[in-house]
Amino acid sequence: MNADPIVGKSVPRKEGRDKVTGRSQYVDDMVLPNMLFGATVRSQIPRGRIRKITFGPGIPWDEFVIVSAKDIPGKNCISLIGDDQPCLASEFVNHPEEPILLLAHPDRHLLPQAVKAVSIDYEALPSIFTIEGSERRSEIVWGEDNIFKTYLIEKGNLEDVWEKADYIVEGEYSTGAQEQLYIENNGMIAAFDAARGLTVWGSLQCPYYIHKALMALCNLPPEKVRVVQMETGGAFGGKEEYPSMIAAHAALLAIKAGRPVKIIYDRLEDMAATTKRHPSRTRHRTAVDCEGKILGGEIDLTIDGGAYLTLSPVVLSRGAIHAGGPYYWPNVRIRAKAVATNAPPHGAFRGFGAPQSLFAMERHMDRIARTVGLSPVEIRRRNFLQLGQATTTDQVIREPINLGNLLDRALDVSEYHAKKKRFAKQNQVGTSRKGVGIAAFLHGAGFTGSGERYLSSVVGVEGCSDGTVRVLVSSTEFGQGTNTVLSQIAAEALSLPYEYVSVAQPDTLEVPNSGPTVASRTAMVVGKLVQSAALGITQTLISSNLLHEGYSANEFRAACQQYVVTHGQFRCWSRYEAPSDIFWDDDKYRGEAYAAFAWAVYIAEVTVDLTTYRVSVDDFVALQEVGKVLHPLLARGQIIGGIAQGIGFSLYEKVVWQNGRMQNGQMTNYIMPTSSDLPPIRVFFEELGNIHGAYGAKGIGELPMDGPAPAIVNAVEDALGVPFDSIPLLPEDIMDGLAASLEENGKVSTVGER
Amino acid sequence: MTNSRESHAKIEISFTVNGEPKKVRAYPMERLLDVLRVDLGLTGAKEGCGEGECGSCSVLMDGALVNSCLIPVLQAEGTTVVTIEGLAAKNELHVLQKAFLECGGAQCGICTPGMILAAFHLLDGKPEPTIEEIQEGLSGNLCRCTGYTQIVEAVSEAVRRRTLA
Amino acid sequence: MRSNPCDYEMVAPGNLQATVALLAREPGVWLPIAGGTDVMVLYAAGNLPARKLVSIWNLPELRRIETTEDEILIGAGCTYTDLRQHEVVVREFPLLAIAARWTGGIANQNRGTIGGNIVNASPAADSLPALLVYETDLILVSVRGERRLPYVTFHTGYKKTLLAPDELIQTICLPRRFSQFVSHARKVAARNAQAISKVCIAALGRVADDVVGDVRIALGSIAPIPLRLRETEQAITGRPIDSALLLLARKTAIAEVRPIDDIRSTARYRATVAGNLIVEFLNRLQSATGAKGESKNTLQRWNYLPIDEATKEILPCCGSKAWAERMAARRPLADEAALFAASNETWRSLPRSDWMEAFQSHPRIGESRPSQPPTAESQSVRSVAWSTQEQRDVTDAKAAVKKALADANREYERRFNRVFIVCATGKSAAEILEILLRRLKNDAETELHEAAEQQRQITEIRLRKWLQG
Repeated sequence: MNADPIVGKSVPRKEGRDKVTGRSQYVDDMVLPNMLFGATVRSQIPRGRIRKITFGPGIPWDEFVIVSAKDIPGKNCISLIGDDQPCLASEFVNHPEEPILLLAHPDRHLLPQAVKAVSIDYEALPSIFTIEGSERRSEIVWGEDNIFKTYLIEKGNLEDVWEKADYIVEGEYSTGAQEQLYIENNGMIAAFDAARGLTVWGSLQCPYYIHKALMALCNLPPEKVRVVQMETGGAFGGKEEYPSMIAAHAALLAIKAGRPVKIIYDRLEDMAATTKRHPSRTRHRTAVDCEGKILGGEIDLTIDGGAYLTLSPVVLSRGAIHAGGPYYWPNVRIRAKAVATNAPPHGAFRGFGAPQSLFAMERHMDRIARTVGLSPVEIRRRNFLQLGQATTTDQVIREPINLGNLLDRALDVSEYHAKKKRFAKQNQVGTSRKGVGIAAFLHGAGFTGSGERYLSSVVGVEGCSDGTVRVLVSSTEFGQGTNTVLSQIAAEALSLPYEYVSVAQPDTLEVPNSGPTVASRTAMVVGKLVQSAALGITQTLISSNLLHEGYSANEFRAACQQYVVTHGQFRCWSRYEAPSDIFWDDDKYRGEAYAAFAWAVYIAEVTVDLTTYRVSVDDFVALQEVGKVLHPLLARGQIIGGIAQGIGFSLYEKVVWQNGRMQNGQMTNYIMPTSSDLPPIRVFFEELGNIHGAYGAKGIGELPMDGPAPAIVNAVEDALGVPFDSIPLLPEDIMDGLAASLEENGKVSTVGER
Repeated sequence: MTNSRESHAKIEISFTVNGEPKKVRAYPMERLLDVLRVDLGLTGAKEGCGEGECGSCSVLMDGALVNSCLIPVLQAEGTTVVTIEGLAAKNELHVLQKAFLECGGAQCGICTPGMILAAFHLLDGKPEPTIEEIQEGLSGNLCRCTGYTQIVEAVSEAVRRRTLA
Repeated sequence: MRSNPCDYEMVAPGNLQATVALLAREPGVWLPIAGGTDVMVLYAAGNLPARKLVSIWNLPELRRIETTEDEILIGAGCTYTDLRQHEVVVREFPLLAIAARWTGGIANQNRGTIGGNIVNASPAADSLPALLVYETDLILVSVRGERRLPYVTFHTGYKKTLLAPDELIQTICLPRRFSQFVSHARKVAARNAQAISKVCIAALGRVADDVVGDVRIALGSIAPIPLRLRETEQAITGRPIDSALLLLARKTAIAEVRPIDDIRSTARYRATVAGNLIVEFLNRLQSATGAKGESKNTLQRWNYLPIDEATKEILPCCGSKAWAERMAARRPLADEAALFAASNETWRSLPRSDWMEAFQSHPRIGESRPSQPPTAESQSVRSVAWSTQEQRDVTDAKAAVKKALADANREYERRFNRVFIVCATGKSAAEILEILLRRLKNDAETELHEAAEQQRQITEIRLRKWLQG
């Protein structure tokens, strides 16, 4: 048995050595013999009918492979939840950058000119670019009413709360689109031959999503479609659903050409054409008593899904379920809807709806505090969920989480009260203002409600001929540590050294479907299956009398080798079984939404420079309860990385839209923080365990995305005394907000008039 | 299929890459990044943005950190280029590579080659930089995964180990 | 990559004469490319109209810096790194050195050239306002010879310059008469590094007889060209810096700039911030030239001194010239906490030879004059006075202890080849003797680090005294 536990230790990253030596193989590093390069001809208008396509002069068109919708063997759609998104537009386009034609040629350099030389004549149709525009329904751009999906969550009874309330607090909060900005752009290679079928290699999160999509598109049976994940340079949700589209394109070209085809996007194409975080608008109306306790309220969440359904229903679901934050709502009505516009479809991005609705909730708590005359600390303390109380979906909190204590610890470590005092004094003079802000929140790990049951994930563990062990999952590594953590879990379960375990490259020919690598489910849900599959290996060896309890590592190796010699391939499987005490009602949207919640309090300290109106974050404390920290270095890296993206979400990353098209699709103009921009981020963990997760772990990948934006904007309001309810919050917005506030208060503004 | 557009001639470029003399035939305006990756098979340098913003294409040219996506290969004639593949000596990792491994400096790894070379270049000029100087030295290399903290810690750790050595 | 390399021709004649000859043969056909940090971005985006390029990267005639008594002559092919590393640029033209540090990241600084920056003529270029306030001349060269003109006339409109189709910029000439000015620079952009500016300011000023004397202010990103704010300069010259002047300066500047809305920012923001930057500059000018006795303003005042004066003033706190130079280079330091953090970090990161220099500036404990001749600068009236204060308890000690101390000191010097360093403030002679005897047993490496730590503490104490005036 392991005297020195592997789980809980910062073991070396499994694929780390290749990463620091430049040996890792990302999709653009791979070259196949006889390979062509592919490119996509895209719509230049937001909505319309294709009238005519002309192939311009100066291009040797006879050397090109050209694919249109007519070449699609199966169904012209990217199969996901609904089947409304075409793989290639045939008659109508519904967003800028919508794919229409595919081109392939041996010379990569010819493609951009060829794409430019295709001219398309459209009959333009009216288009919609905002949530409000979609709601107005002056134009119907999707379905009957522009609405992709709605949810209604109701708890208790709202009838009396408004009369009983001492305060009714209203607010509207909005968040903008955010680009995932993985440093490696989307890319795929596809190859096809009639005997083996179709193979795609690429930068991706979910091999089996692509597998499913390609079967329908190419009319192929499951064993004739193979999807292989290459080393993936960042994903964050941006490679959850989109890779199915680019894989489909590469596949169609490969099928028609009879040669392998590689498609690699450049940054401009990736930013303009692929998914982004759903823009959102949340409206709160809350009844509060004189002691600051929430009596009840209405929450209206609307997200902009872009032109096609894709994953909007699921993003909406998570956003709606998290909309009430970590607070006790005796009565609530949450109305959520996802609406269609003529932007490229929005999609998964770390947090997946929760950062949007939690931004609103945490800003709103500060508004409630101010209205009632309590501090941001006190208002939260009085409303936190407690053991035994139920969430907005009636999920009873059964673990001994004490949010008041969590808050206290965060306040202590961040020196919140001392800073408040100091800043109050400092802010009376000088050209900068300092403030501190709090965000308290939760994040449910794993698929919502019956989602995990529906996924029915399967995991394999293999005993190899050399006596080592291999984990077989479709869960992908893209920096977050999948390979490392699953190896730790297997090694721990088997009482073997970490070095004895490897993880197979996710290849649908080799590995079972352990579900998509999303929803912060990998360590918690898939890890638990790895644990049980690993135990299956031990049991098999012991019941074959090749091994006895309390075995050494060498004894295991020998036994495993012997078993393989005798029986051949040696694999144990484990399939997900829903815990018996988790109930979820899909119709009423009520019950246990998630097997486990992680809890957090984040505190941001900011300085607002009144010369430039820039906000700098000077200190950031992140305290979270995560069940169990499986790998301290990886866990800390995940939290810090997520917070960096959250800081970008709140202060830097603005998508500039014009007629549905992103105008600033270069890294020069879409601004993410550099190493000179980020503050020291101090990370602290608490561990309450989790019976539903491997070794007590809860998911943490997305949690850190929820807290930074509200903590920072709360801090800005603390510094300036002016509320801001929309992100990204740029210096220009702060300047305008200050000027407006001064004018309201009858003061002369020094803001120049233009 | 042949490439029928030979509008201008390819030229021969001679330069040293990771200590070895190399000769390539290329158009003068081919990017050094593409020559390294395609002609020489050195795929450690990556294209993240194509505009000199992300630094994932960083290499050392005559000892200076440069963005290889912005260098026409003609200008590499006669120079000495070092890529990530040239950093480790035989089988021994460079102290920076070891520190990145031990301090969590690499997550998805796509920025890592450029980031390590940027750190290498920094320490070449400033063997004992301050935290601020490390941040400045890496400010042209974007990382989306780590939030930079563990990268800066890795560089600090490398500095510490070198001064003890 | 959206261009096809086979469509482009590029030559590298390798010397200036052949290059200008080529440009003269086919004017407007060959696009000069130096470091490529602008041209290659256009090329990659598929937006480079030129099809023929001539490389002027690393031309020896263009990549050099010379100084005369009156001028510094910077070759147009010098990179930002070249500028940052040149002593005279850093010391006498800090606005240019700072602008070079702002430009891109290190990789782009290693390739981007000052000549390229000028010819590319983006109004957002970081270096151009600095060149305007330093009254730069340009020397342009072609087959027809050289011509020299004031840089301020070079930009005639948005991305339009006086450069003839067959000309190159050869040299950038800056007169060496700005060392006595207070200099102020600030770049306002979306993030702290690798960002195109929304507004930037380069300014020089002097105060004479309590009124604004010679003042030069230039801004970037607020007009189609980088702009000297002549009207604002005129409005404030000869007037005392009071709140009325700040209001007037802000108003005049906002009226003088002509910013636009673009993908990065708004005209309104640029105008307002321009006004704020002018006010900030005037406040700095006032602090830098205010009375030395004001204790609250010591740090603020020191922040804006010319670099030589700042170095000289802070040197007695530590005794290491390198420490003082690095501290001066790290200005402005926001507050006392930043000052101490900078001091500690700087001290810890110094090479050992600089530690030695600091050690040498101290007298042997118990004596009042340094034991070895310190370097000329490190010994000053102030440092001797502070040493005397720090060692007061020691010099009053009993004779027996004094003798023991002297013996132990000599033993220490024999062993470690330098004087014994200890932070003496608040310690009795007996306590110091105990420490010395313990440390005599240290190995060389441990002892060096102990001594360094003591020096760090001494420096901190002296910094506090200095702040108090």
